[in-house]
Amino acid sequence: MQREVTFAGICGFIATLVLAVLILIGSRNLAHFDAALVAYTASILFATFGLTYRYTMWLQRPPTAIYWKRGWQTFLNRKYLRKNAINWLRHVTEDMALNRFIFERSRMRGLTHFLIMWGCIIAISITFPLVFGWLHFESVPGEMDTYQAYVFGFPTFTFASGSIFGFLIFHGLVWSAFITISGVMLAMRRRMREEGAAALQLFVEDFLPLILLFAVSITGLMLTASYTWLKGYAYDFIAILHAITVIITFLWLPFGKFFHIFQRPAQIGVRFYKYVGEREEPAICRRCNTPFTSLMHVHDLITTEKQLGYNYEMPGTSVEHYQWICPRCRRAMLALAQGQLWQRQLGGETPALIAYTPTTPSYVNPGIGEGPLGHEDAKNFHP
Amino acid sequence: MSKLPVESVEIIERFGPTLAYAQGARVDTGVEPDKIVKTHCCFCGQQCGIQLKVLDNEVIGFEPWYEFPFNQGKLCPKGVKRYLQGAHPDRLLTALERNPSAEAGFSPIAYSDAIRRVASEIERIQSTYGRDAFAILSGASLTTEKTYLMGKFAHMCLRTSNIDYNGRLCMVSAAAANKKAFGIDRAASPWSDIIGAEVVWVSGSNVAECSPITSDYIWQAREHGAKIVVVDPRITPIARTANVYLPVKPGRDVILFNGILNLMIERDWLDHDFIENYTVGFEALAESVQEWTPARTAQATGIAERAIRQAAELWGTAKTSFLVHARGLEHHSHGVQNVLGAINIVLASGRIGRPNCGYGTITGQGNGQGGREHGQKADQLPGGRDLGNPQHRAEIAAVWGMSPDDLPMPGVDAYEIFRKIDRGEIKGLLSISFNPLVSLPDNSFIRAQLEKLEFYTAIDFFLNETAYHADIVLPGSLHEEDEGTVTQVEGRVIKINKAIECPGDARQDWIIIQDIAAALKREKGFTFHNPEAIFDELRRASAGGIADYSGITYEKLETQMGVFWPCPSEDHPGTPRLFERESWNPVAKGSGPFYFPDGKARFNIAAYTPPAEEPDEAYPLYLTTGRVVSHYLSGTQTRRIGPLVDQYPEPRLEMHPNLAEKLGVQTGDMVTAESRRGNITLPVSVVRTIRPDTVFVPYHWAGRKSINQLTISAQDPISKIPEYKVCAVRVYKAQNGEQPPAPPVR
Amino acid sequence: MPKPERYEFFIDISRCIGCQACVQACSECDTHKGVSMIQLDYVDRSVSTQTVPVVCMHCDSPTCAEVCPADAIKRTGDGVVQTARKPRCIACNNCVLACPFGVPKMHNEMNLMMKCDMCYDRTSVGLKPMCASVCPSQALFYGTREEIERLRPSSHPINTFQFGQQMITTKVNMMVPNEPHVRLIDIAMSMEQAPVPQLLSDDPLMANLYEEQ
Repeated sequence: MQREVTFAGICGFIATLVLAVLILIGSRNLAHFDAALVAYTASILFATFGLTYRYTMWLQRPPTAIYWKRGWQTFLNRKYLRKNAINWLRHVTEDMALNRFIFERSRMRGLTHFLIMWGCIIAISITFPLVFGWLHFESVPGEMDTYQAYVFGFPTFTFASGSIFGFLIFHGLVWSAFITISGVMLAMRRRMREEGAAALQLFVEDFLPLILLFAVSITGLMLTASYTWLKGYAYDFIAILHAITVIITFLWLPFGKFFHIFQRPAQIGVRFYKYVGEREEPAICRRCNTPFTSLMHVHDLITTEKQLGYNYEMPGTSVEHYQWICPRCRRAMLALAQGQLWQRQLGGETPALIAYTPTTPSYVNPGIGEGPLGHEDAKNFHP
Repeated sequence: MSKLPVESVEIIERFGPTLAYAQGARVDTGVEPDKIVKTHCCFCGQQCGIQLKVLDNEVIGFEPWYEFPFNQGKLCPKGVKRYLQGAHPDRLLTALERNPSAEAGFSPIAYSDAIRRVASEIERIQSTYGRDAFAILSGASLTTEKTYLMGKFAHMCLRTSNIDYNGRLCMVSAAAANKKAFGIDRAASPWSDIIGAEVVWVSGSNVAECSPITSDYIWQAREHGAKIVVVDPRITPIARTANVYLPVKPGRDVILFNGILNLMIERDWLDHDFIENYTVGFEALAESVQEWTPARTAQATGIAERAIRQAAELWGTAKTSFLVHARGLEHHSHGVQNVLGAINIVLASGRIGRPNCGYGTITGQGNGQGGREHGQKADQLPGGRDLGNPQHRAEIAAVWGMSPDDLPMPGVDAYEIFRKIDRGEIKGLLSISFNPLVSLPDNSFIRAQLEKLEFYTAIDFFLNETAYHADIVLPGSLHEEDEGTVTQVEGRVIKINKAIECPGDARQDWIIIQDIAAALKREKGFTFHNPEAIFDELRRASAGGIADYSGITYEKLETQMGVFWPCPSEDHPGTPRLFERESWNPVAKGSGPFYFPDGKARFNIAAYTPPAEEPDEAYPLYLTTGRVVSHYLSGTQTRRIGPLVDQYPEPRLEMHPNLAEKLGVQTGDMVTAESRRGNITLPVSVVRTIRPDTVFVPYHWAGRKSINQLTISAQDPISKIPEYKVCAVRVYKAQNGEQPPAPPVR
Repeated sequence: MPKPERYEFFIDISRCIGCQACVQACSECDTHKGVSMIQLDYVDRSVSTQTVPVVCMHCDSPTCAEVCPADAIKRTGDGVVQTARKPRCIACNNCVLACPFGVPKMHNEMNLMMKCDMCYDRTSVGLKPMCASVCPSQALFYGTREEIERLRPSSHPINTFQFGQQMITTKVNMMVPNEPHVRLIDIAMSMEQAPVPQLLSDDPLMANLYEEQ
């Protein structure tokens, strides 16, 4: 354990250091760094350490470690690299950018997440560069109404301040706040009215993140309102309030629900693992002789289970390890084992092991594809 | 006249079956229902208690009703998904008129116009061809109030002899046999008596699929040490773990019972005291079963002799026992004899009318029991009275305020009504809650008769397949849209509560019937304002009868969660267990527990006659039919509920691998089954759980998927039940080019 | 509201009649409305009508949770192993393949594993789970130990299972007959067993058919 902690600590330190150096470089030795925003920077640096630490700890858990390794191996597998690269693009678009899998869970949930996610992404992509001094605007000499944008210290595009583009850019945070707030409202509504959600949710896990996002967004909007319409009324107070909400949110990043933002991309690695696994040798169930997953997956699970201290070995049998039996046969065997006890009690004989070849158990419900899961199952169990 | 107005696919396109799945408020876990209504499931005779969640006049879900004593919250898949039948896209919201030029063959008309048209056609047909030329087919899924009103409508308003009901396809063999043996037609014992029985004998009943809740009673008995005997041509789920399983050849049950009785006599496993004091006719019966030696019984029933002896010993030596049977015994041209055979082994054991002992038939239809008690049967008057009995006629005529002479004489059974149409004796028909085109055997004959009718009107909530032939369709009410009572499998009268109002122009069925009576200007006796008023008259009409409801009130039904009839006075708690030794009944008047003047039960000689059609060289196999757990009767409701259709979407033919090998087919292949009356092509399911000489197909589907195209219209001479459980077929691999039945629409 | 401790889940697979009431009712539970999580299989329909309903056994040491790379499966204080946390589950299938009872179901489109959570919305407020409420044969039973003792005098609950060398104990109980007395269920013993009806040798139908001499 000590070794893992040390390693994670080192990784966290390095990541934090790298970010600090980048801030120095990007802001041209703090030339473009706004000193008023130093608290923000500090909280982000802290979050970076925390996130990296936790991420590294996470990656060192046996099941995660093996997936991490195999994810890269399968991705970089020469045979599939080209196809993987294409799939990578697809998954990043569909899963990450469009949240298609969440829309599959329910349209409302999809929309909720989509709004919150994009609200936050827009806000972050504006504020982080500004805070780090990686982005700043200067008016073009001689042209009072035209601005030049500098990214990482390099001049890029110019635009007129009165243009629609200019309006959109300067109010980017307003739009992102509105998007985030509508998503948060939808999420709150669901959490407050649905019985199913009510049974499972926890305040810290499920409400606190929403409250934080709402607080950040609303105080941000109040700032805008203050300087736009109220001649800067209570501006300083609101600014502090906003800073507090933002800083708390960053400090909270590595601990709570927000950590899923960093875990989630792992699903792309899983996709490669499955994609390659499906095309390589399958694992054959040692009861029903039917392929049920990839050989790689069974081997990996056996390793993982051993590392975790499980002992599903079946020495002296043809099965060798319980992992070699498909989930359906496991369910059937449970029934058969329990049924056998009843049979003995009620005075029956044990059925002679007449030439019975176990077959794959089948779902009782034939209607939807092959069962309650139907097509889903076909995708899990191939070919 | 009543040919289909347009092609059936066009009707299906508009009227379904459309598969309903939960959506909107039904999947929203954030809505609070307006109210939760305690009522019962509409599917099957067990009538499980259920609570329906209602929001905005729509049933949006259910909650188990744990307190109801019979099922204590348990439900089968039909009960779970029953809520999906409401707010259904196929629901009839207006009256319809046959219109061949309309897109779907029917056009909506005003309800009042529809009623006027029905009345004028009844008037015309009855005045032209005589009163009996107009017939009524009623249903056993209706509340008892409605069945009472249907009988009264036929006998008093239309004064036609020809009314019968679809219970004719259900429990009538048991009813007839029970009357012959006990003088009363009701399960003799409450199901709670199953639990303490030493032996539970299940004959011809796929309990697991047709009355699933009863399984728990049987398993509870097993936990208390009971041995289970199951008689069935198929290893049903309940037979799988039976102590003795007897794979009887279809149509031979009575032989088995006679053989068992013979062994009981031989080994003296008899209750002599009971036989002597409480029964008559044993000597003659004993003599008649002598011929059924174990060896002969084995040969005739197709069951190994060892297994028969084993079962006989279990049954013979038990101290307590419970015997249940269902359609497996009853759907035969000798169905009454089969049931008498079963009753004989119960009576010979003396194990009836006391705790932990009993006998009962498992009713199949929602109100299978109540629906056969109060006058919608061809020969019956309320209270289980006989239409042919002058005293009974006088009693009922007095309640109805009419002359007994104006009551028609007994009419004919449901199938015979169609034969009468064929002979031109019946010209007009009103059907309610009955889909004979799916549920009657040899249904191409039924279709031909529907086409001959001059006028046909159907009352239903969905356009069932028979109603395709209707001239006028009247939009009736769903189970949850009306209140009333039903009597479930144990003889327990229970209260159905209204959860929602009828949508659109739809009306409660009793209102529709009264509206027709009014349009005929014969509203006398048809001016009830609510079901309770009908029930109160029914109570009076049943008073003094065998099925005496006079002491039952709606209030009592609610507070006691059901009352077992007979219940002759308001302070009477009801009668869960019949035939207790010292019990009093209006027939025996204290002379004994059974419903005969001497108070004694009757042993009846149960004679074996072979099924009407036996396998031969041309048609070498037995076909037997039955239900599956996810569908109910002709499927008018369940074939419209998506999750239930997913569970069992299409009929399949079950056959044994030995047979499959001969035919060269395997699971999933299409086979054609053919009888002398029709054929069907469907996928095969090869299973070792059916006799090699028998194939099985469930019956819930219509058109080309209906197995009743093949079944035989032979009937029991006493009960008139059709022989669904056995006919001869041949089966072969479907020819090339022969298409499987079209998939269900949508 | 805290879950009343005294209620427990008891399964007697031998009672199952395969009617699917549990499958249909499962999708009526509020925590996963519209999705059925219970598993119900024919052991081998060509041979027998034997069916096997499997709900989550809620292991004391849940393999599914431990092999989850995303920490998506949590066990509550009262011992209920919950369905995958939606934000975390990455649909890797480890739990599906590792669960010794074969419980979890993977929904690929949703990138989400869903499994029986003992109707947490119901059981956490003292109601019975949907499947055990409706189960017509009471193969699935939810109630107190006193009730089960009274209702089932021929059997008793155990919660220990042997998979190869691994012993697993569970929150959910399995009913086993009193005789012969067993301490645990060893799954391996059913490895090659045919799903014939249990009380009769070989093939009960053919064995009990009359044979022409």
